[in-house]
Amino acid sequence: MSQVATLPDPLEEVAPPRGRHGGAAWAVWLLRRIGLALLTLWLVSVLVYVATVALGDPVRAILGRDYNSNPGRVAQLEAQLNADQGLVARYFDWLGGLLTGDPGTSLANQQPVWGQISANVLNTLVLVLLAAAVMIPLAFGIAMISAHYRRRRPDTVIQTILLGLAGVPEFVIGILLVALFSTTVFHVLPAVTLVSPTGHPWDQPAGMVLPVATLVLAVTPYVSRIVRATLLEVLDSDYVELARLKGIPEPVVMRKHALLNAIVPGIQVIALQLAWLAGGVVLVETLFAYPGIGRQLVDSVRNHDVPMVQALSMIIAAVYIAVNLVADILSILLTPRARTAISQ
Amino acid sequence: MNQIRNNVPGISRRQLLKYSGLGVAAVAGGGLLSACGGGDDGGGGNGGGGPQNNGGILIHGATGGGSKDTLDPHQPVTNPDIARVSNLFEPLLFWNSNYELEPALAESVESSSDGSKWTIKMRSGVTFHNGKPVTAEDAWFSIQRVADPKKPLSAGGQLSQIIDFQSTKVVDDTTLELALKAPYAILDSLLAEYTLGIIPTDFDLANPVGTGAFQYKSFEPGKTSVFTKYADYWGDAAFVDELHIQDFTDDNAKVNALQAGQIQTVDNLPYNLIETIKGAGGGVLISETGAWVPFTMRVDVAPFSDVKVRQAMRLIVDRQAMIDQTLSGYGSLGNDLYAPFDAAYANDLPQREQDIDQAKSLLKEAGHEGLQVELFTGDDISSVAPAAANLFVEQAKLAGVDVKVTKKTPFYDDDYLSYPFAQDFWNTRNYIPQAAVGTFPPAQGGTYNETHWDNAEHRDLVNTAAQTLDEAKRNDLLHQAQEIEYNEGGLIIWGFRQQVDGYAANVQGLEPSKYLPLGSYKFQKVSV
Repeated sequence: MSQVATLPDPLEEVAPPRGRHGGAAWAVWLLRRIGLALLTLWLVSVLVYVATVALGDPVRAILGRDYNSNPGRVAQLEAQLNADQGLVARYFDWLGGLLTGDPGTSLANQQPVWGQISANVLNTLVLVLLAAAVMIPLAFGIAMISAHYRRRRPDTVIQTILLGLAGVPEFVIGILLVALFSTTVFHVLPAVTLVSPTGHPWDQPAGMVLPVATLVLAVTPYVSRIVRATLLEVLDSDYVELARLKGIPEPVVMRKHALLNAIVPGIQVIALQLAWLAGGVVLVETLFAYPGIGRQLVDSVRNHDVPMVQALSMIIAAVYIAVNLVADILSILLTPRARTAISQ
Repeated sequence: MNQIRNNVPGISRRQLLKYSGLGVAAVAGGGLLSACGGGDDGGGGNGGGGPQNNGGILIHGATGGGSKDTLDPHQPVTNPDIARVSNLFEPLLFWNSNYELEPALAESVESSSDGSKWTIKMRSGVTFHNGKPVTAEDAWFSIQRVADPKKPLSAGGQLSQIIDFQSTKVVDDTTLELALKAPYAILDSLLAEYTLGIIPTDFDLANPVGTGAFQYKSFEPGKTSVFTKYADYWGDAAFVDELHIQDFTDDNAKVNALQAGQIQTVDNLPYNLIETIKGAGGGVLISETGAWVPFTMRVDVAPFSDVKVRQAMRLIVDRQAMIDQTLSGYGSLGNDLYAPFDAAYANDLPQREQDIDQAKSLLKEAGHEGLQVELFTGDDISSVAPAAANLFVEQAKLAGVDVKVTKKTPFYDDDYLSYPFAQDFWNTRNYIPQAAVGTFPPAQGGTYNETHWDNAEHRDLVNTAAQTLDEAKRNDLLHQAQEIEYNEGGLIIWGFRQQVDGYAANVQGLEPSKYLPLGSYKFQKVSV
């Protein structure tokens, strides 16, 4: 029963198709999931559009105190916003542009939106993937050590540290790291990420260390604690007991029997955490002057730059949906019972 | 790591350049040192005071910026924009570090005897970054771009109204005869703004060329921009090979980067981090400015329509406390008069101080004992504004005035310029242009007349002064105008902010300037 309880939701949405060939059943299932993802994305686009329109008059926000004294600029900006068209017509214009890869022109500086955000999207993606590459093995490693020593001293120490880290906001971790490695105690790592206009943040690998470390420290505790809890549950189960009784060495039991079964809940937690990171960790980006999408989104909202806000929101939503879709697929593939349920 | 490597003195070729340029550098360094001796504040820093090094990269950490950033020479929006245009482009005249006019791209700017025609003589031998010589034609093109009567840009508000566009003519390559609709005695000061840089007639924003000591290499809104030393600069060429200007939205990131040696200069150092920078061996540059955040009282609505109430409010303010608490002490006293660097500034009027008894009796005379007023403020005015508003509430209590603060988001909406009692922000300007834009009726150019001040006598004095070429006479007229504002005006000007900037230990050549932060952003004088 414990296994079923840890399974993710997607199973329940899918009525197992009967009497079909395994491969075809898989294709149908996958198409159905992708269709659902696209439907979700479309609903998000409606929400994003309505919400950004409700931000207030962007023209007034852009011109500030010059609004009253510069009617020429007001007319120019209003023309750019197509303020005279209806809401629905403007929505479909925008959606059409989005689908054809043209999310419009920024109101703040009259440059194409995509040209401005593409570099930042890549920067955030690299930051998140690097953080994930460090975080996943680290979190599983810690969880395995912790589970191995369960409720003995090493476990207690680890759990106390993890709880402590989980309780500290990520920007505080960042500030402490900067003070420790860049400004106050040691002067070994750059405090901020300086990027030449033609380059990328990772051109100076040293500059990536602190942002990645901050994200890793912020996310690892959650993942590690969930994996540990699942591991403990699995280690108590009958089939692990049976494996031990059969004389299989403990490391093999841990790796082959326990870990593989504990991985599924871990994937779900990792997916949620990665999606959160991909949404732009504004505080971390700000602290390290890292050119990512979180800071750009905040800047755009402040400027009431509607096309930028819309494009960035859609990208973030798409990443959320994609990451969760991938996590669901992985979960199913790694759960034999769910796998066979689909192809039966 | 790139930055750290760049700070190490160059090798071979660069070394050679260094020695060949040593003579020039030593002379320039000596000049700067003596200039610094004259100034106070120990600003310049200038480390050990040895000769300045050639070469290297100067990375300036600019406060703010974002996707609104632009390289347009005539409409800079953000702090980094101002730093960029100040290094790429140059106006006909400069405001020097003491806020006085100095020739720049123009050798001379002289008026006819009645002030209605101005002859601008261009400096010869000045070239744009693309090698093209600067001519009077370029100057006229730039002025027209800024002073387009249909869409004037920030430096062109006044110019667009006074220039006679038909009669102005380019006499030859080096002479521009600017004709005015009416005499204007201080036209030269309008030509010295950093927002009126001279650009070629075929200017292209995608590849912006100017005459500054640095030329364009790359730019991305909200991120880094790169400029290289312009070797054929008409003045003293820059010490550093490259200038980078990096946007910082966060003060902590900016200061951390300075401490870690990744950047060399920052503008607008937060007051609470001054000691941190000093402790880390860096320098702090403190400059006087004429920037102010006044309280504005509308003189055409009750209760402020009664001059006694206005004077009482002015007597309620404890100006030193305002400076101490909202500017951490980095400010100088205001006397309800603006334009403190103007030669006509009325220094002799007695400094107004807090006088609660006098304020109470004025309010009693006006029949406004126990006055209740609403004060409008907002974060978009300046971070100083809400703090000053809250402090004013406390000070007004002493005189029995009940002030209710209403924080508007945004402050600059349709109600701006109709608030009975509010705040605003202004930067350094001289008296005539400031009076024109801030105290004249909108129809006569007072685009930002928050107090609805409409005083014909005051206006006549300012207008007459604007047409009076004789400086002594002009200053006398302006003195009279200031007396009227001192006695009846609707502005409470409690102080002027001091500019606080920071720099790394290896930076030499900075001196305080009253005009713009970091020695008016003249990075060609700075070596690392």
